[in-house]
Amino acid sequence: MKVNAEMEQQSEAIVKFDNVVKRFGNFTAVEKADFEIGRGEFLAIMGSSGCGKTTTLRMLAGLEDPTEGAIYLDGEKVNGKATWDRDTPMVWQSLALFPFLTVQENVEFALKMRGVGKEERRQRAEKWLEKMQITEFANRNINQLSGGQKQRVALARALVTEPKILLLDEPLSALDAHLKVRMQAVLSNLQKDLGITFVYVTHSMSEAFSMADRVVIMSRGQIEQIGTPEEIYREPYNRFVAEFLGSANIFDSVITGPSGSDGWKVDFEGGETSLSKDELPNAVQGQAVTFIVSAENMQLSAPDSGQPGILASVAGEEFIGGTAMVFLETETGHELKVQKSHDELSLLNLHAGSKVIVHWAPESCHILPGENL
Amino acid sequence: MTKRPTLFSLILSMPLLIWQLTFFLFPLLFLVAISFWTVRNFQMQPDINFGNWERVLTRGVFWDAYFRTMVLATAAAAITSIIAFPASYAISFKMSEKAKRWMIFILIIPFFTSYLVRVYSLQVFLSDAGIVNAVFGYVGLGPFPMLNNAFGVIVGMITLTLPLVILLQTFSLNFVNRDLIEAAHNLRCGRLRTVFAVIVPSAKVGLVVAALFAFILSFGDFVSPLYLGGGNPPTLSIMITDFTKSGQQWPRAAVVAIMMIVTLLTVAFAAITYAYKERGK
Repeated sequence: MKVNAEMEQQSEAIVKFDNVVKRFGNFTAVEKADFEIGRGEFLAIMGSSGCGKTTTLRMLAGLEDPTEGAIYLDGEKVNGKATWDRDTPMVWQSLALFPFLTVQENVEFALKMRGVGKEERRQRAEKWLEKMQITEFANRNINQLSGGQKQRVALARALVTEPKILLLDEPLSALDAHLKVRMQAVLSNLQKDLGITFVYVTHSMSEAFSMADRVVIMSRGQIEQIGTPEEIYREPYNRFVAEFLGSANIFDSVITGPSGSDGWKVDFEGGETSLSKDELPNAVQGQAVTFIVSAENMQLSAPDSGQPGILASVAGEEFIGGTAMVFLETETGHELKVQKSHDELSLLNLHAGSKVIVHWAPESCHILPGENL
Repeated sequence: MTKRPTLFSLILSMPLLIWQLTFFLFPLLFLVAISFWTVRNFQMQPDINFGNWERVLTRGVFWDAYFRTMVLATAAAAITSIIAFPASYAISFKMSEKAKRWMIFILIIPFFTSYLVRVYSLQVFLSDAGIVNAVFGYVGLGPFPMLNNAFGVIVGMITLTLPLVILLQTFSLNFVNRDLIEAAHNLRCGRLRTVFAVIVPSAKVGLVVAALFAFILSFGDFVSPLYLGGGNPPTLSIMITDFTKSGQQWPRAAVVAIMMIVTLLTVAFAAITYAYKERGK
């Protein structure tokens, strides 16, 4: 293997996308992807279908070639390098296990292709079967396994060559909810255990946020935001990300004047609030500002409490585990979401159509930097 | 859970049932019966006589023809399958949907013309003064004997079965999961190796059935052995006509026919069993 000073310097990032563009005819699947993936990092690429997330992964695997830009794998530019010459095993959404081979033969496949001897092949495969807790199925036919067992075979098959990076294309989408959560834990532990890089493509926010160190959010071929789940959740970059997260209330407002010594007073349709000057250092009066308040930071008070805020009526309610999401409609027709515990809500005695005052602390407001450039 | 057939479904399936009984099962039973009849003064007489079976099965001529037919049909099926595969592969994996449709249409065209006519035209190609030898002669080679021998017979059988085998192979390759191919590539399996390690095993059922059809059609073929092979030494199908022509020996022809049917049933059963055999417990 070629080791040089340049590689040593770049050893922090195992993957580098340098302004990568992928077009299929007139359709641009990925537009100027420019990011790095750290060694040993669990990176999730998230977005709705057709956003370019799978194409990004396939370019990394060598199943598609970039139209423009360069992809570096371990410091080496891999444009044009066939997938069979790369060490980037992938777990398919369909799992793509070979039905004409037994479980053990599936796991041994990549070793066989590399000319590893029969005895060593058997030992290495058995080690991974054991690690994935599927030793008892070694001689079974693939079609006799359950969804979760197949998942483990697919992982063992991809990991048997002990690669530095593993690519996963929505591998859990076919499983039922209960099994999905269990497999998430398996994947998470496996990644920590092995210390290798996982690149995980998914449309599910819960999967991405529960497992990944960092999340890439894509839409229509563009990368909208890259960050830790915490960062993305607390500080979504733009309207798309805020809407995608689904739990933020988005307000388009205009600065009307100073509020105290360290804030701006802003007006939005249906009310007014104040924003911290720290987030808007260069703002001027009359400037448009888009900000969000996340649903769990919204407060509710009874309409006769005298609390300043926005008067709204209850439109509906949705249970989310121990909390409920209450959907409200302001008098100007805006929809607001408030997430509260059941106990707190029962004190207010809410029902469809009942009035309530919505308010929040100024520090709960987050300005969307992508919308206020 | 088995469903009881309704009156409606029974009526719908009646024509098939009647057809099968009238034109397959009854003649077959009749064939078995005839094989025990005797022939006196060129007249067949109902009888229970094992002499026909004994006469046919104890003669070296029959077994020579049997193995000759077996080898020819096996060779034709194997060669046709091997020639057909690259074509089927190209149609299934490399062509656009539109080109695929055209290819399938073109592969059906040979069935528009009679096989007999096509075999006659092959005589023009394969004879010593024919087109192929003329080309060889042009570069100072030949003439090669290509008619009235096994080569001619196999060329004829390939002509008969190739379009059908390509069609069957193409359809089975169309059902190969494309993810499996990418997964193999991704696991370090190069293009050519993927064909043998993934595509052939994935399409196994279709490939075996295609070869089986080639075998069945070649095994029973009468036209190529006669017009391209010269009819001598005989194959089983030629032997049947020989028996009927010489001394009205329909009972002995029936014995040969039954041996052929039993052979085909055995081969078909073995092939299908092999095709559907799954790995692992």
